[in-house]
Amino acid sequence: MIKRDTKALITYFGFILPGLLIYLFIVAYPVFYSAWLSITDFNPNRGGAWNFVGFLQYRTMFEDPHFWHALKNNMIVVAVSVFGQIPIGFVLAYILFRRLVRAGSFYQSMVFFPHFLSTIVIGTMWKRLFQADGPVARLIQILSGDPSAQFDLMLRENTVMYPVGFALIWMYTGLYMIIFLANLQKIDTNMIEAAKIDGAREAQIFLRVIVPLLSGTILVSTTLAIAGSLRGFDLIFSMTTQGLQRMNAEVLPIFMYRTAFQDYRNEMRFAYGAAISNIIVVISVALILLSNYIGRKLKAGEEY
Amino acid sequence: MIPNVTRGSDRSSKGLVGKSISYIVFTTWGLITVLPLIWMFYSSFKSNDELITNIYALPHDLFDNKEDEYTVIPRALNVILPYDPEVDTRERLIIESATISPGRRLMLHFFLKEELPPELANLQPGDTLIVSQLPPRLRLKVSWSTIWFNYFSAFIRGGLGIKFINSVIYTGVSTFLIAFLSLMISFALSKMPFKKLSVVVLALIGMGYLLSIQSVIIPLFLMLSSVKLTDTHLGIIMVYTAFGLPLAVLLMTQFMRGLPDSLIESAYMDGASTFRTFASIMVPMSTPVVITVSIISALGIWNEFLLVLVLASSESTKSLPVGVFSFTSLMGTQLGWQLAALVIATVPAIAVYLSFNKQITKGVVAGALKG
Repeated sequence: MIKRDTKALITYFGFILPGLLIYLFIVAYPVFYSAWLSITDFNPNRGGAWNFVGFLQYRTMFEDPHFWHALKNNMIVVAVSVFGQIPIGFVLAYILFRRLVRAGSFYQSMVFFPHFLSTIVIGTMWKRLFQADGPVARLIQILSGDPSAQFDLMLRENTVMYPVGFALIWMYTGLYMIIFLANLQKIDTNMIEAAKIDGAREAQIFLRVIVPLLSGTILVSTTLAIAGSLRGFDLIFSMTTQGLQRMNAEVLPIFMYRTAFQDYRNEMRFAYGAAISNIIVVISVALILLSNYIGRKLKAGEEY
Repeated sequence: MIPNVTRGSDRSSKGLVGKSISYIVFTTWGLITVLPLIWMFYSSFKSNDELITNIYALPHDLFDNKEDEYTVIPRALNVILPYDPEVDTRERLIIESATISPGRRLMLHFFLKEELPPELANLQPGDTLIVSQLPPRLRLKVSWSTIWFNYFSAFIRGGLGIKFINSVIYTGVSTFLIAFLSLMISFALSKMPFKKLSVVVLALIGMGYLLSIQSVIIPLFLMLSSVKLTDTHLGIIMVYTAFGLPLAVLLMTQFMRGLPDSLIESAYMDGASTFRTFASIMVPMSTPVVITVSIISALGIWNEFLLVLVLASSESTKSLPVGVFSFTSLMGTQLGWQLAALVIATVPAIAVYLSFNKQITKGVVAGALKG
């Protein structure tokens, strides 16, 4: 019996170990490595000499105006995702679901399409479109009749997040539309019919029947949007030119990248960078747990 | 009677106002989505001058090339030869376009003198010739390469060919490994004894879903540098595979738990080994979830940027997104080339999207909602 169990255990591990080992080495181990790095003064310029320095890196970070600037921009990105992409995606999905337009699948494929392009392509394309004398500027010139009009929102620190936010909405709205549509299609249509027979109008059906039924999906999408926004690197990186413009639009991941891989004079660049990435993970895990917690509370309240 | 009632209320509720608003909303959003892409596509066939002076006009200069003027130039150091002069010693006439970036040695043609009629073969540097003077075969070649000027330039100067192949390798190999390894893990977790151990392993792997490559890019870089794997295909594929596993294992375990145990038990009864059961029963039955997992993984890896940006330092390991990014940042003044590079990176995505639209959409939803 024991012999058979041992054999079964060996088979079991034979199936699990190849994947598990790769996972442990490349995903799990670096987490601890990163935690360790962030409490040292690991110096790559001196062959990796290091001492424990406690929370020095974190203290530096909280005193660094670049960190707060990046965090603020990150929160703008989160807000754009939650209050831009999700509502627009929801409305579009609802229109498709209620078949208020013909050729729905055509519209659907069109709006969803940007999600398939590489973020770098999208970022570079919008960088071109948003150039001071680029296509968008030309459009403004035609519409306003002022031939010298320029599109300068990308150039100023306090406005750069508007075009960036627009590109973010442009790219991700289709994704949320598809997610909402998939869940709308799971709804029992009898409920809608019943509401209609009772004389409910389209707006009432939307607010009283559809939105409550989809509250779970809305929550999951919000979690997704928050986590995704905190990780977002590619789009802003490729939309901006290295230097002042990228610093103006900097979000936490770009701040981390700039610190660790571009600031070669900083002797503690990897340690400091690790502290920044750890904070990103902590913030996003906290937000995910929070929204799951709220979700569970809401679900518990629904059972009557 | 009920269907009639329904239809009646349908008509009133889907009133004209609601419908019009819906159409306006969708058409506006559709146009916002598509117009930039359409502009990008047709503008990639425009010359640099056209792109600056006439942003919205349709391409013209590169297509209307019958009467283009060319100048004969000497073979100098700033001319990049498409052949090896040591090996191929035949004499050539080198001409440069007098309209597209003249003097910058960007738009060149090399003709074998033996293929040219004598009056053209004897032209000296500084002389000019018109495309229509050329023999028909060469005329067609010049005309063709003028139309695709931006594309040829982007492809050759950006080295996009090798980067495209790298992207295919990274995506293909990593996706295969993710599917294969996660099939094995999920089979063990869902259909073998040791339930308690399985719960622990699943939780451990599932936790990885909270992390992205970006969150541990610094330790990854240090680790891979210490074993000299940074600038290699192997290192990049390993990272992609490891980070693809959590979601794949979560989705597959969930799927396999839904498959009936009786199938496996009867296979055991018939004396099949565990591996045999896995290969000939579980794998075929898991095809739907394998497709979903492959789509999500492949899409993510094909578009991934940061890892390759950090790890790949030589041209031979860079992927297409990184290649396109560095090419477009370097070629700041060559607007047409930039756009052509973007289109080159986009076309495969469009082809795949159009052919697997339904499955991809389903896969993306499954992957997104798991979180």
